[in-house]
Amino acid sequence: MNGLEQFKDRNVSQNYYRVKIEPYPKTPWERFKRVVRRSLRLELFVGLKITLMEMLRFKIHTIQYPKEKLPISPRYRAVHKLLRLLESGNERCIGCGLCEKICISNCIRIDTRPDENGRKIPTEYTINFGRCIFCGYCAEVCPELAIVHGQDYEHASEQRAQFALKEDMLTPLDKLKEQKEYPGFGAPTPAADKLIKKTPLAY
Amino acid sequence: MESAFVIETIIKILVVLGLFSALAGFATYVERKVLAFMQRRLGPMHVGPWGLLQVLADGIKLFTKEDFIPQGANRIIFMIAPVITAASAFIAMAAIPMFPEFTIGGYTVRPIISDINVGLLFVLGVMAIGLYGPLLAGMASGNKWSLLGAARTAVQFLSYEVVTGLSVLAPVMIVGSLSLIDFNNYQAGGISNWLVWKQPVAFILFLIAGFAETNRTPFDLLEHEAEVISGYATEYSGMRWGMFFIGEYANMFTIGFLASLIFLGGFNDLGFIPGAIAILLKVFFFIFLFIWARASWPHIRPDQLMWLCWKVLMPIAVINVVITGIVMMF
Amino acid sequence: MYEVVAFYLFAALTITMFTITVMTKNALYAMTSLAAGMIFISAFFFLLDADFLGVVQIIVYSGAVMAVYAFGMMFLDTLKDVKEKNPSKKIVFFLSGMIALLLVIILLTPMISDKVQALYPVSDELGNAEAVGIVLFTKYLVPFEVAAIMLLVAMIAGIILASKRMDESITLKVDEEIEKEVKGSQ
Repeated sequence: MNGLEQFKDRNVSQNYYRVKIEPYPKTPWERFKRVVRRSLRLELFVGLKITLMEMLRFKIHTIQYPKEKLPISPRYRAVHKLLRLLESGNERCIGCGLCEKICISNCIRIDTRPDENGRKIPTEYTINFGRCIFCGYCAEVCPELAIVHGQDYEHASEQRAQFALKEDMLTPLDKLKEQKEYPGFGAPTPAADKLIKKTPLAY
Repeated sequence: MESAFVIETIIKILVVLGLFSALAGFATYVERKVLAFMQRRLGPMHVGPWGLLQVLADGIKLFTKEDFIPQGANRIIFMIAPVITAASAFIAMAAIPMFPEFTIGGYTVRPIISDINVGLLFVLGVMAIGLYGPLLAGMASGNKWSLLGAARTAVQFLSYEVVTGLSVLAPVMIVGSLSLIDFNNYQAGGISNWLVWKQPVAFILFLIAGFAETNRTPFDLLEHEAEVISGYATEYSGMRWGMFFIGEYANMFTIGFLASLIFLGGFNDLGFIPGAIAILLKVFFFIFLFIWARASWPHIRPDQLMWLCWKVLMPIAVINVVITGIVMMF
Repeated sequence: MYEVVAFYLFAALTITMFTITVMTKNALYAMTSLAAGMIFISAFFFLLDADFLGVVQIIVYSGAVMAVYAFGMMFLDTLKDVKEKNPSKKIVFFLSGMIALLLVIILLTPMISDKVQALYPVSDELGNAEAVGIVLFTKYLVPFEVAAIMLLVAMIAGIILASKRMDESITLKVDEEIEKEVKGSQ
């Protein structure tokens, strides 16, 4: 997390410095002098030295992608996840349809029915990932923290039908123990409790 | 005797062809790796251990790719052009003595295909013919970028041929022969006899001209991506493009052999190192230098190229020849 | 045996190439076959053990034909056939035929009368380059120097022709200035 702190610093111009540009030669004699100066000061060999030193130092920055992966921010917005309630294992979604309403690329579809207890549950929940722009509005608007953005960004597929499967997004029942309380996008920030202020009712 | 000579020559030709095609492939691997290391990357890693089989994969790709001829192109010339580059690169190697003589089963082998007594001129001339490949390819493609590449080829060919010839002239005057074997024998007996110490200016000029003749990076105007897409090779695909590639790398080896034979003592024994290994080390140093320069230096504009050739390199080469002549006279 | 085969092979190739040069209507074919023919000619020098001349043939003519290519690139669309206008074909055929006949007679008569002798035969002691040098700097010294002076004159003339208004840069000029100049010159 600390490594990412530096990127939050928006005051980028503090490290700027002005490059000294030598005046452009005007007369042929000045041009000749510049050529001689540049050739005899062996500026070309400075370039050669830098590349050679880089090679000998062997400080490789390559990430060999499928084998190694860069850590991503917890607030990264990748493929959605549908969460379950930790105790009962029921789906968190209450079928309010806010996500469907707010979705700006219009890719969420919900179908609901009342269950035997009279609660509304979703029978169908699809997100067309071919169309989704991963803006994160759905996760932000969800009152129950039922739909969130996961960390799984490798979602290429050969068929469009596979872009909308609820089974892939929903936490399976047997993996319920592994489901963590979600810290990322759309979830309350860690210090949310402290930030809550008393509603000013003085008037 | 006659038939033995013919068989020997054919075997040598096959060895040179096979060996240098393979070496050209390997040089692409080395180039990608060294360039990557100099830029803090790893280069090819996935095919084989450390990407060693990448060359093979590239070969398969090139051979199986569609051989594409654009509709507006001049078919015959378009098809011949890459062959000229590849063929002339290998023909130039015919007159290069690669290694010292050695014997296999009592039969003395001279590792040179044809020992003509003007070997140096032959190699330079035939290498220059190789630039007809890009020229014809560019003119036959029916594409404006290709035509620009062809025009640049003509310009580069006509100007840097002069520098190559004049820079080699001074060493030729000192040795008094055009045969590369004479050059080698002249420098026998240790590092102090190398021609670099007598002709440092000619050595540098020859190297610069060598970069231009093989159109390597500081002078790779013919196919510079940022300016003319891929220059003469824009319309080429598959093995025809591969032939340009093999020709370029074979020319790199030729220039490496020439520079080490003329200036760096050739295949004479170097202290405890036997001659064959010594010349290989020198050639690989030059190959490395080609790659190194590519990683370090930006390429130059066409007008700067002409400025460099006619206003800097050629006067220096002429002055060098004159001074060499005066020193030899007195 | 090999030499005979090589001679006839290269003779056929050379004649074919130059025939294409003359006959074709496409500038690209003409120039390419000219270059190829020039290089095939060097094979005859190699067959005659005149290595130096063979290599010089390759170097000089490859460069010269490259210059022709540069002109072809500038003046012609090399991918299209050139449309020629011959007002009278008879005159063209007659003149070219007579020139060819004249050349053949000039070159063939000494051969038929067996008067051709090598003034400076190739000797084994001297290398090729030395033999050429000796002939050039003894017997043909004056033509050699005259040729050098002519080349010098041509070079100076070329520089003077090319260096006119060399300091002006068209890229740095504003469009109006160029238009004004064009109008002024008309």
